[in-house]
Amino acid sequence: MTKNPSYDHTIIPPCQAECPLHMDIREYVDLIAQGRVMEALQIIREGNPFPSICAYVCTHPCEDACRRGQVDNPIAIRALKKFAVKFGGDKMIRLEAETTHDEKVAIVGSGPAGLAAAYYLRKLGYPVSIFEAHSELGGMLRVGIPEYRLPREVLDIEVQRLIQMGAEIRTNSPVTSLNLLFDMKYKAIFVTVGAHQGLRLGIEGEESAGVVDGATFLREVNLGLKPPVGNRVGIVGGGNVAIDAARTSLRLGSREVKILYRRSREEMPADPNEIEQAIEEGVEILFLMAPIKIQSVNGQLDITCIRMEQEEPDASGRRRPAPVPGSEFHITLDDLITAIGQAPQVPKDFRLRIGRGSTIRVDPLTLTTNQKGIFAGGDAVTGPASVIQALATGKLAASRIDDYLRHRYPAISKEKRASMGDLLPRTIEMIRKFNRYEPPIRPSQERVKEFMPVELVYDWEGAVNEAKRCLHCGIGAEILSRDNCAACLTCLRICPYLAPFLDDRGEIQIAEDQCIACGICVTECPANAIAFRKPQEQRRVDEELEHVIESAAKSKSKPLIIGFCCQYGLYGTGALAGLWRETKAGIWIVPVLCIAKVESRHIVNAFKAGAEGVFIAGCDQQQCPRENTAFWTLQRMERSKKMLAQIGIEPERVQAFNLHASDKNLAEALDRFTQKIGELCLVSAFKKEMKK
Amino acid sequence: MAKSLFEEKLNSGKFIVTTEVGPQKGTDTSEMVHQINLLKDKVDAINITDHQSSVMRFPSLGGCLLVAELCGEPILQMTTRDRNRLALQADLLFAYSRGIKNVLCLTGDSIEVGDHKEAKSVFDLDSVQLIRMIRTMESGKDIAGGCLKGNVEFCIGATAHPSADFIEPQLIKFDKKVESGAQFIQTQGIFDLDALSRFMQYAHQFNVKILAGIILLASDRMATYMNNNVPGITVPPNIIEELACVEKDKGLKKGIEIAVRLIKTIKEENLCHGVHIMAVGREKLVPEILEEAGIMT
Amino acid sequence: MIVAEQKSMEEIYRICSPYEKILILGCGTCVTVCDAGGEKEVSIIHSVLDAAQARTGDKPHIFSEYTVKRQCDIEFLEALKDKAGEIDAILSLGCGIGVQSLAEVFPDIPILPGVNTAFMGASREWGVWDERCVACGDCRLVDTGGICPITRCAKGILNGPCAGAKGGKCEANKEMDCAWVLIYQHLVHLGHLERMRQYYPPRNFHTILRPRRLIIKTEINPGGK
Repeated sequence: MTKNPSYDHTIIPPCQAECPLHMDIREYVDLIAQGRVMEALQIIREGNPFPSICAYVCTHPCEDACRRGQVDNPIAIRALKKFAVKFGGDKMIRLEAETTHDEKVAIVGSGPAGLAAAYYLRKLGYPVSIFEAHSELGGMLRVGIPEYRLPREVLDIEVQRLIQMGAEIRTNSPVTSLNLLFDMKYKAIFVTVGAHQGLRLGIEGEESAGVVDGATFLREVNLGLKPPVGNRVGIVGGGNVAIDAARTSLRLGSREVKILYRRSREEMPADPNEIEQAIEEGVEILFLMAPIKIQSVNGQLDITCIRMEQEEPDASGRRRPAPVPGSEFHITLDDLITAIGQAPQVPKDFRLRIGRGSTIRVDPLTLTTNQKGIFAGGDAVTGPASVIQALATGKLAASRIDDYLRHRYPAISKEKRASMGDLLPRTIEMIRKFNRYEPPIRPSQERVKEFMPVELVYDWEGAVNEAKRCLHCGIGAEILSRDNCAACLTCLRICPYLAPFLDDRGEIQIAEDQCIACGICVTECPANAIAFRKPQEQRRVDEELEHVIESAAKSKSKPLIIGFCCQYGLYGTGALAGLWRETKAGIWIVPVLCIAKVESRHIVNAFKAGAEGVFIAGCDQQQCPRENTAFWTLQRMERSKKMLAQIGIEPERVQAFNLHASDKNLAEALDRFTQKIGELCLVSAFKKEMKK
Repeated sequence: MAKSLFEEKLNSGKFIVTTEVGPQKGTDTSEMVHQINLLKDKVDAINITDHQSSVMRFPSLGGCLLVAELCGEPILQMTTRDRNRLALQADLLFAYSRGIKNVLCLTGDSIEVGDHKEAKSVFDLDSVQLIRMIRTMESGKDIAGGCLKGNVEFCIGATAHPSADFIEPQLIKFDKKVESGAQFIQTQGIFDLDALSRFMQYAHQFNVKILAGIILLASDRMATYMNNNVPGITVPPNIIEELACVEKDKGLKKGIEIAVRLIKTIKEENLCHGVHIMAVGREKLVPEILEEAGIMT
Repeated sequence: MIVAEQKSMEEIYRICSPYEKILILGCGTCVTVCDAGGEKEVSIIHSVLDAAQARTGDKPHIFSEYTVKRQCDIEFLEALKDKAGEIDAILSLGCGIGVQSLAEVFPDIPILPGVNTAFMGASREWGVWDERCVACGDCRLVDTGGICPITRCAKGILNGPCAGAKGGKCEANKEMDCAWVLIYQHLVHLGHLERMRQYYPPRNFHTILRPRRLIIKTEINPGGK
């Protein structure tokens, strides 16, 4: 009855499925929960070309999909990434790329899509040149997003790394004709010029001085042009650009900033956090209101507004706003910023087919345009979208260009979809509730004075505790060996979350979408028929124990005490970190990912390897994010103690720490334990002598 | 003609008094002889217990022979715990042949409560089946259908538990015992006379004589111990309290007082047909109790 | 389901000690279900035996482990024939039936029982098993409301309760319910109390003449005569 160790039945979790880059979020969050932040960063870098940028500005569709949201609140994935980027030492990472191909690729536009395409093309070994009309790279990252959301230093570091990788940068180089690039021996071109043209309101007086569109306003601010803003500024629109413009105006010194939005707060497309922060800073949002006329009067703007009301939802479920007749009123402003959307502005000479909303038409799977060798992507194709989507497009473009240049039929990768259902109410009821822990933000009075980042980075404890909330979707338990399964129903009876069930044919199944990988059934299954979907989870304790035994054997330290210690939370990084340094005193730590995974066999094997004492230290039942872990661990421990006593090993040699939250001072309790072990050693040595 | 002297007394309508003697562990019967001599003329019959509380002792059959030899009227207590149907029949044949003609049919306490906990318990029959078996033997056949040489006739008794906390299943079993041929019932210890009255209301419909079990308590500690360890005995809290109220060495006196009170009431109020006194090792006090209760045979 | 209990490690180690190469053999059916002798228990016992040996410094035993689907059926034991040459004894964690099947298939190898076969029963919750059937060969559950007095009454009596129960608990084991109280209550619930009022004659132990053999096949005469 052996199992094939090479299986991997991991299910794509919703966070990963929803991430346009399909990053292995579950893995890096878990690493952060263990305090292994550098490894977490490594995973992040494998999936994302510019993690530090995403750490600040990602719209995190992963969090919207996160199933923890069904229990309390989603995991703060973006903030955790920011923590990993900062504490993992992302700044110090240098990248290199080798040129292995001759075909040069030109990238027109240096927004996130362009930069990502350059990054991945360099990794594929192509010479790459980036053409940027402005003086600095970044596109919307540079000219659109305000500095308090994305410090320029962060962007500069990523750009610098791209240069290290060998990308050629041509700033102040607006491209007017793509043919010219082909003439310059570029074999493929990726057009990613963004969507910078503000849409017009289409109302009377829009040309008045003091009326500006949001994209232009932000660009001017971001390029350091310091556009003058008055005390009273109005912004029209409800998206992120509107919020950015409002908060930027505050920072430039405006006293009264009003956002006019024609729908209600629920429909507002801007990030709810951003809206919240804007309100905190003093931005006033007037909902269900729209300007209908602008008049310039003595250097001031007289805006005629009208109240709106929401119609009944139409077929698409969207409620259209409609003006309330006779509800007009006036407000007086110094400036009005229109932020109701942007469109691409693609030079005619590019001769690309243009579709709805002035966007470039491409085949969405291959990003090919109507012209051979020309690919397009980013906001120029989709209209204004998120940074993470742009990065994903850039990555796709790189591989499609590679296919094209290598004369391969494009390998259409299947979309990674989550096959996980929602958590059932009874599962939700059993999952311990831990509220989302938000990273600290600077006080609003302080932050409106300057463009410093609003959100700060988690401290170590905050990040680890937040990461511990992850439900480990898709790596839970499965019945791996039907042949072994004795249908004993142990799993069904002991699962705190009621994930195992009997199907119509009376066979036991484990509902993969209800399992949160606590591991109790895996450890308790008397037939060894249940395994984690991710095999490493399974082998880890055995391997770590073996490793410790080997190292201890080399060091010949006596007496040998082996401790199975939970690596999650502060245990991994805090309290036990001290113990690691104690190895000289004979204490060796076997790190485990939750003590629920320690089996009786492991405890006994420690003694078999010559240990004089064994302890288990884990989070107490209040801190452990999973149910019943201490109960089962103690069950197994008592079982082992009983069996060990029968072969003459004193039960006092096995002890648990902190599982019941009683050992407030772990170090002290451990001292007492080691002292006890020392005494027991003496006694048994004495007995041996007597026997002789 | 009556099967035994005891049966005759049962049918005479007088207030019946029986008591019991527990054999010793070992062959020295002097104490038992002393007790039998003391009691034989004061009561209508003497039960000899059968490894009471599953503690191994001199056999009930041997005790009964002593009673007969000493010219008393013995009641053979016979449990199904230790003997299968062959042994039980054989013992009954022997008993009858030696003039022992009263038998109290019992299932017997569990092996678990006794001193030979590792023994195999037999329970080939239960008490109801034992009664039927005796009635079958009286018809001249053993229960496998084989013919018996010579007569067998017994006056058969059984037990009942009027103060059981689940009384209904006990009553069903009581019905079966009577239907199977039990002529008299010696109940488990009675302290609550209301429970006895309720039981009698039910039992009066049957042609069976009911002797209320009276246990002599020596202290509240003994009562508590019995509650926890002796099957079928429940001493109610008010009795324990009554015992606890007296001075330390006056417990037994109080116990006698309680027993006397119970017997007197039963007799005066004509609650049932008689009493069965269980003195639990203090058999020598039985005459005193009887005297105080105003009973002379 | 047959329920068994592991012997103490002291006893297991003692019965193993005369042999050098010992196969610890689990059984994947009943004893797996009752946590006494499945694959997991095999590995735990293996570890404990190794630990015991490491501590005592006895002459080396070599333990190996294996688990078959069912020890009671000899076909499942065929897989062990290859190993038979390399082992001096088999520590069987199967029930008594498994031990005997092994002894039959491997007449040259001592079979050491590692568990005490306890009873036939059911699990009421994780880690708790209750006896439910003594295989009397003469089932009367129809009359007792589906509650077996032969198994669940300490005295196995058939005509109603003894006088020993207190608070509905058995005189022999105060943890356990008096079967006859349960039977009474259930028959009342079913409206079949008349079944308890019937007289039940003594049991027919002839039906369980030991050792029993059950034959359902019919002798067929191929000649047809």
